[in-house]
Amino acid sequence: MFNTVKTEQNQPVEVLEARKAFRVKQMGLQKLLALAALFILYVFFCIFGKNFASTGTLVSILDSTYYVAFMAFGITFVIITGGIDLSIGTNMMCSALIGGYLYSAKGLSIWLCLVIVVIIATAFGFINGVLIAKLKLPPFIATLGVMMMTQGIGSIVTNVQTQRYPSGFVADGFYKSIFYKTASSDLFPSGFPSGLIYMGIFFLIAMFLLNKTKLGRYTYAIGSNEEAVRLSGVNVAKWKILVYTLCGAFCGFSAIVYAATYTTIIPGTGGGLEMKAIAAVIIGGTSMSGGLGTMSGTMIGALLMSVLSNGLMAMGLQGHYQTFFTGLVVVLAVLLDIYRNKKANAIKTLHS
Amino acid sequence: MNIKKIGALLMAVAMAASLTACNSSGKPASGSSDKPYIAIVSKGFQHQFWQVVKKGAEAAAADLGVEITFEGPQSESDINDQVNMLKSAINRQPDAIALAALDTESVKEQLNECLTKGIPVIGFDSGVPNAPAGSIYATASTNNYEAAGIAAQKLFENADFQAKLKAGKITVGVLSQDATSESVTQRTRGFIETLTKLVEAENAGSVEVVGHDLFKKAATADVKLTIKVNIPATTSAADMKTGAESLLTSENLVAIFGSNEAAANGILAAANDGSEFSDTGRYKDIIAMGFDAGKTQRTAVENGWFYGSITQDPYQIGYKAVSLAVDAINGKAAASPTIDTGAKWYNAEALKDESISQLVYE
Repeated sequence: MFNTVKTEQNQPVEVLEARKAFRVKQMGLQKLLALAALFILYVFFCIFGKNFASTGTLVSILDSTYYVAFMAFGITFVIITGGIDLSIGTNMMCSALIGGYLYSAKGLSIWLCLVIVVIIATAFGFINGVLIAKLKLPPFIATLGVMMMTQGIGSIVTNVQTQRYPSGFVADGFYKSIFYKTASSDLFPSGFPSGLIYMGIFFLIAMFLLNKTKLGRYTYAIGSNEEAVRLSGVNVAKWKILVYTLCGAFCGFSAIVYAATYTTIIPGTGGGLEMKAIAAVIIGGTSMSGGLGTMSGTMIGALLMSVLSNGLMAMGLQGHYQTFFTGLVVVLAVLLDIYRNKKANAIKTLHS
Repeated sequence: MNIKKIGALLMAVAMAASLTACNSSGKPASGSSDKPYIAIVSKGFQHQFWQVVKKGAEAAAADLGVEITFEGPQSESDINDQVNMLKSAINRQPDAIALAALDTESVKEQLNECLTKGIPVIGFDSGVPNAPAGSIYATASTNNYEAAGIAAQKLFENADFQAKLKAGKITVGVLSQDATSESVTQRTRGFIETLTKLVEAENAGSVEVVGHDLFKKAATADVKLTIKVNIPATTSAADMKTGAESLLTSENLVAIFGSNEAAANGILAAANDGSEFSDTGRYKDIIAMGFDAGKTQRTAVENGWFYGSITQDPYQIGYKAVSLAVDAINGKAAASPTIDTGAKWYNAEALKDESISQLVYE
């Protein structure tokens, strides 16, 4: 008894290991289920929606996925560390607003503006990280503060004026054909969705960072047992700051695609978008208590929400129904999470 | 193992979805009917105004034998939602689309797509200002600038206002929902400029406009009238109320105008649902005016707490949008690029008249 290594909750290490292995296996299963759900929903809407089965609709689904997916990639890291970032929606909007302001009011080149957008968003992510890791603010409170600050800063800088990015019909609108989609051509009647490539590249980058790098390993480790990571001599604060900064950078990438897709940015908005991203992450099977989650799950979650909202629209249902059903899916996904954890905990009984 | 259970959950979602689909106004989901189909994308559902527009559109659809869907984002700042709705509407291959754009820039690409696909687009309410040439068939809307000008005219005719204007320096407050939407901006501008013109006809250069850069104007002579514009941080009810409160506590305030339902509601909320404007209330000397209607605003006008308000004709906006769409489908050339759907001044007296009362939705 004395020589058995004990960890939290006084569980022998082998039980924890077995439990974790089981949860990881279950997660693969849920990802499969999420993928199946995505497919079933798509087929369902193809049958019952008005002209849903068309490439035009597919492109529309992608269009409304991009900006949510980018935010969701970033916040997946944060949630796996067991944290939360409420500021992503307003951070995204704030950096987009400032970029639009620099473009239209200050006459900066559109490319420079897009770079500045990413820098601003990254800076806010860094501030979140410092507040949480160095100054020990709870993530909820730190990012709530930054959420309000970014919403305010966006309005202050722009003097509560709507900012417009160049539309696809002017010379500067070329950035749209890189980040959003190209003009319609014979081969692609609704335009080639180049945003898919932009999103795909960053999806691979995010997956690489999470699975193949030190940053990814520490992200999982901090989420599983922060204290143990700290005791083993790792500079937890540094890695946490990096995770929140990365999340901020992804808000910047999201802002670019948001500006490219919707052109017009209104001050005072953006609150609530973070919940879309968080919902995508949850649907994708990432646990809010940290330590578990995958990037591909997040991608599926973001797509699933887009299919749902586009599909319900094709059925002639109003926006409030879409919100309701998205909420329902989130609840179901979390119920599944709880059920999974119960199964995992049941292993304890097997071992004792 | 638990796959069964999860499968059951998924089916429950799908079933719930199809159930609501069947219940929602009995609209067939798949396009099986032969009637022409018009997709209407509005600016919102938040205000009762849109419900009356919808009623008008539905009446026109029944009269003219067409099928319509009516959708709009949950709030008037959800530009991304509206763009997605418009894309979805185009994908449904309608015979015509009626659109009240939140912002023209954001829908330019979709308008272009409609143009290439030969789907006629009809503007309604604020329409699609500065749309690319040829992309809009015609627009059914209120002339907002002139409509708000009526309120300025009525204020100027008011005896109390005249007396105070003669006595010394006064302030008029204008609460404007945003400086973004064309219709709200036009109204705010229409009110400010009409009032400025009327007052300056007697005392040139004596009016200054402060509070927002978009409307700013300096006086060139002794200031007799200060028009103070307030545009709250967001369009939320709480922020509108705060904006109204800051105007109501301004020095020498003699009148306040809210340029849409949200702004009028903000003023009402700041004045205890309007009762503070009554003869015994805190703001009894302030002349309050609004725009559009709604239960609280209507009550305030009926009780004489509000001097009066301007109403558009939302029913006609909806009705004419659909009838213009039918004209477009039938290949008729548009008689004129804009069809004015009218606006009326209403006060406690006018509300007794049924022809006006029916325009003032609750």
